[in-house]
Amino acid sequence: MKRVVITGMGAVSACGLGADALVQATQSGASGVRPVKFTNIDQQRVGTAAALAPETKEKIEEDAGHRMREPVSNYAVMAAREAVAQAGLGPEDFGDRCGVSIGSGFGGAQTLDRNYMKFSVEGSMRLDPMSVPKIMNNAAASWVSMEFNAMGPAYCLATACSSGSQSIGLAYQLLKAGVMDRCLAGGSEASLEGGVFRVWELLRVMTADKNRPFSKDRNGMTLGEGSGVFVLETLESAKARGANILCEIAGYGTNSDAGDLLRPNPERAAACMNLALADAGLQGSDIGYVNAHGTGTVANDINEVAALRSVFGEDLAGLEVSSTKPVHGHALGAAGALELVASFGALQRQSAPPTINFNEVDPKIGIDPVGNAARPISTRAVMSNSLAFGGINATLILKTYE
Amino acid sequence: MSTDRETLTRELLALVADEGMVEASEIAPEKRLEDLDIQSADFVMILMAIEEKYDVYISVDNELSDVETVQDLLDLVITKIEDQKAA
Repeated sequence: MKRVVITGMGAVSACGLGADALVQATQSGASGVRPVKFTNIDQQRVGTAAALAPETKEKIEEDAGHRMREPVSNYAVMAAREAVAQAGLGPEDFGDRCGVSIGSGFGGAQTLDRNYMKFSVEGSMRLDPMSVPKIMNNAAASWVSMEFNAMGPAYCLATACSSGSQSIGLAYQLLKAGVMDRCLAGGSEASLEGGVFRVWELLRVMTADKNRPFSKDRNGMTLGEGSGVFVLETLESAKARGANILCEIAGYGTNSDAGDLLRPNPERAAACMNLALADAGLQGSDIGYVNAHGTGTVANDINEVAALRSVFGEDLAGLEVSSTKPVHGHALGAAGALELVASFGALQRQSAPPTINFNEVDPKIGIDPVGNAARPISTRAVMSNSLAFGGINATLILKTYE
Repeated sequence: MSTDRETLTRELLALVADEGMVEASEIAPEKRLEDLDIQSADFVMILMAIEEKYDVYISVDNELSDVETVQDLLDLVITKIEDQKAA
């Protein structure tokens, strides 16, 4: 089995353009959550989301806008360009030996939403003729492969909130097995559209207040959007081209609850983290920081903390845990990718990013996460969890490259 | 209890019965929602109807995690409706 390393990363998020902007925001606790208004929702109940800033959207449109694609693909192309530039890849590094694995939860939500309104409300038959290629979930993956002439395997996992983590995990497994030499892997989501937002309101898992993971007064999540893309390579390929290695992907675990579509199962989440640890050949005590799925819903918080205690010990000694979702929002299919960027930031800076908006320890779960200000850590490995609707769990472990 | 509250309570009991698909005669404030077989999917229907009728948003989260009986639900919803009116 081959070792797999990261040589580049890119991000588009409510915190701005670039992986550095996201790391900086998660470390300092500068939230990208802002007011959002959807004209096709009569009476909007939830008024905020971690939407991209208008200037970020303008810049993306200017640099990556294309009449054949919509924001979900543009975000991925922007993030991939940044990752490829950082990795220093040239035309000779793509071709058959480079794959793409970019997931999305909703795909082309903007086109879908606009079509619904035109078709149903206006009764128009004059819809966007390019709707199908814009909406299809694999559009972002395909545009990224075309952008760089990456002709190896191209995947698009649509596993809700685990899409990003699983896409990176799948790429890691394929690289490890020698199926390809490098892969552009991550997730993209641009589903802050009226129709989508309204159905999230109706599921009632969003807070009308602030997102406060693990806090006693938590009351739901805040949606986000964006894209995170990594350049993953086998260690030998990275070395052969003299690449600067950022860190190693040490382990990956994924499993299914096979239980309930919406209600999580702590035993399965714990089993998933244990799979990743076993794959990495590490003990729980080797992990210094966990970037939790941490949605700030009561169901997730209770489930995830129970799972963490089962894996890392009742008192979670020596482990820092936080959720960075109040900063970049819950970006669904991009969540795992954005949070892996934040986790890399933690590893690189040896600093656990804060769970902002945290007010008070919840006696129901009793965890005191890294609240409101970053904490120094001293560790060679960090973990990131994604626990999705559908009962799909995914855990990634990053390690300092030695 | 003011007349307003009595009317509201009556309306809400009818709404819970309707959306929770429970016989109105079975609903009583002291009954546990679980015993009435009202589950999470019914909750979102009940809360959607409450939003439509009374203009309040209640997330299926902390606010609901301590709700066990019909009375608990009534108390929560009535508080929210009164907050909304006061706002």
